[in-house]
Amino acid sequence: MKTMKIAIVAGLVASMLAGTAMAQDKTLNMIVIEGGDTTAMQAVADAYTATHPGVTIKLQPYPFAQFFQVAELRLRSKDAGVDLVYVDAPLVASYASRGFLSPVDAGISTADLVTSALDAGKYDGKQFALPINNSAQVMFYNKALFAAAGITPPDGLTAGATASQAQVDELASAKRWTWEQVADAARKLTVKEGGRTTTYGFTVEQFGELYQLQPFGESLGTDVIGPDGYTAKGYLDSEAWTKAATYWANLYNEWGVSPKSLGYGEAAQLFGNGKLAMLAGGTWNLPGLTASGVDFGVAPYPYFEGGKVLTPTGSWYVGVNAGSANQAEAFDFASYLTTSAEGTKTWFDKLQQLPTYKPLLDEISTGAEFDAFPNDVFRLGVYDSLNTAKARPVTAAYGQLQDAFRTAFVDIANGVPVADALASAVQKFEAAAARVAP
Amino acid sequence: MTQSRTPVLLIILLLVPALIGLVVFRLYPIALAVNDSFFNVLRGNSVFVGFDNYVALLTDSAFWNSLKVTLWFNLLINPIQIALALGLALLYVQNFKGVSVYRVLFLIPIGVSLPTAVIIWRIMLSQDGLVNGVIGIAGVPAQPWLTAESLALYSIIAIATWKGISYWMIFIIGGLQNISPEIYDAARIDGVKAWQRLIFITIPLLRPTLLFVLVADVSINFLLFAPIFMLTQGGPAGSTNVLMYEAYKSGFVFGDMGRAMAIIVVVVAILLVIVGLQFKLLSGRKEAR
Repeated sequence: MKTMKIAIVAGLVASMLAGTAMAQDKTLNMIVIEGGDTTAMQAVADAYTATHPGVTIKLQPYPFAQFFQVAELRLRSKDAGVDLVYVDAPLVASYASRGFLSPVDAGISTADLVTSALDAGKYDGKQFALPINNSAQVMFYNKALFAAAGITPPDGLTAGATASQAQVDELASAKRWTWEQVADAARKLTVKEGGRTTTYGFTVEQFGELYQLQPFGESLGTDVIGPDGYTAKGYLDSEAWTKAATYWANLYNEWGVSPKSLGYGEAAQLFGNGKLAMLAGGTWNLPGLTASGVDFGVAPYPYFEGGKVLTPTGSWYVGVNAGSANQAEAFDFASYLTTSAEGTKTWFDKLQQLPTYKPLLDEISTGAEFDAFPNDVFRLGVYDSLNTAKARPVTAAYGQLQDAFRTAFVDIANGVPVADALASAVQKFEAAAARVAP
Repeated sequence: MTQSRTPVLLIILLLVPALIGLVVFRLYPIALAVNDSFFNVLRGNSVFVGFDNYVALLTDSAFWNSLKVTLWFNLLINPIQIALALGLALLYVQNFKGVSVYRVLFLIPIGVSLPTAVIIWRIMLSQDGLVNGVIGIAGVPAQPWLTAESLALYSIIAIATWKGISYWMIFIIGGLQNISPEIYDAARIDGVKAWQRLIFITIPLLRPTLLFVLVADVSINFLLFAPIFMLTQGGPAGSTNVLMYEAYKSGFVFGDMGRAMAIIVVVVAILLVIVGLQFKLLSGRKEAR
């Protein structure tokens, strides 16, 4: 009996000791996207924990295709196993409106962040998420494939050359290709052998995604949905979007210059293997493409002839789960990641994404190390984010919009008539959005 | 010999694990689904809406399309699977040269997990995949198996059938081995032909087995989700958008649990009606054997 008592007391003491140890050593769990983002976040986390003993940061990576669903489920269930969460810009409204995120700590100074990027992290005038970086899309082109086909490539930034911010501004404002020029070149660049395509002329990086394709229709004059955030009739099925979607359909069916159903990351692989002549994609592909050894140039993101120049923008934010037990520690890391010189620099060096931290943007525009290729590509990003960037629509039904849009554009690439696919997308989005509209 | 009393306690003891499983994994989720289908989440708050989610389904064209796809899918896949499984089982119990090779070949799909099988089929059915290569030899142009509105559902039926029939075959083999050989011997002496033996002896005596296979197969195919999730996401143009996928998307992609649960309850209700009918039709008539 006596040994039993001793055992119980010893057990209690041990558990109390363990309890105090846990109170000091905090573990922050963060859900992130698998791949380059995780590598970059690990680098920032390592730099942070080196100066913050007692804090461990555990990354939980998920594939892009599953990330949105996992985040939605874990936030909704107030899962305390998540402290920090990656938030896609257009989802801030949806998460904040449902109380998933804690309002950003007032003690965090955001004076050094780009205002438009900060605004996209607000809901009801309150900051709910901090921008990790911005994004910029460009068009990569394979110089050897253009030479082999005997076509003049677009004006762009290439290896061996340097470009000042003024020269880049000139390139972006006066020498940007149109989608018509892209189609023309793509048809000449596509090589088919015995019914199989061995070289594709052109593809976008994100197959059927709203982020990538929003400028298609909007540059022709009509937004993807109405200002109320819940109407798509007269917008997604408008003349402008029909024209844009017809161009998209032709890429896959009429001209056969683009590969169908590319998964996440497959377009960049194809380009890196020299089997794709033009790739409209993010600047985050630069490190991978440079390493692949393919000889490429970088041109500004195209637009439709007679339309307005618009480019994709907006990227990932970091938020703190309202259900997290480590609010202060989580915000401290979020602040380091987004508003400190070291944190933003580590992230930028690893992932090569256009920053939202102003001192870093100034460094890109004026720093000598950004004169040469491929670093000068970021100056293109600076120009676009100041002049042509168009944010995605703000609506609590963004997930519904993204899904309806993707379904329609994947179907169109697979041969469903444009008018049918757009009409069905309008109907599906409005029905689903009506269920979350106030 | 003395007649021992019914061991009630033992029966209860033996049934308890199964009953607990039934309640925890079947009845409780159904009750939860029914309950959740009466609520909607608005601005983070759960609001009781009564039958609103069901009423909304009545005018919801996505739901009706999905219901149509689900019914058409099941109308095709279940008879095909059972007929093929029966055919394979009849072959399986024969004795001919090479029967053991045949037996092994048809048992392989059982050993492959469904996601693995789906991934392999996806590669084989891709534009430059094995299937198109094989039909290319015969001069047939490459087909968009999973990306054409006219083909995708049938491709999924083919994959699910490939995966499913050997499993059902095993049950039918068991049923076949229960039929006593004397009946066949007697029939043979009477000069009954092979096809008559199948229709008048084998199938009627196989009825209890077929009933089980039919009910279990229909339930599984009504709830089929993985191949659609992995291959087509309900597309192209909604042609493979079965109710299970529609419910999944509603609940887990859009966060609209009320609608998702209402759809699930409808699926369960349809399934109960169908299974009830099957029981009535196949085991209702107690005829003389």
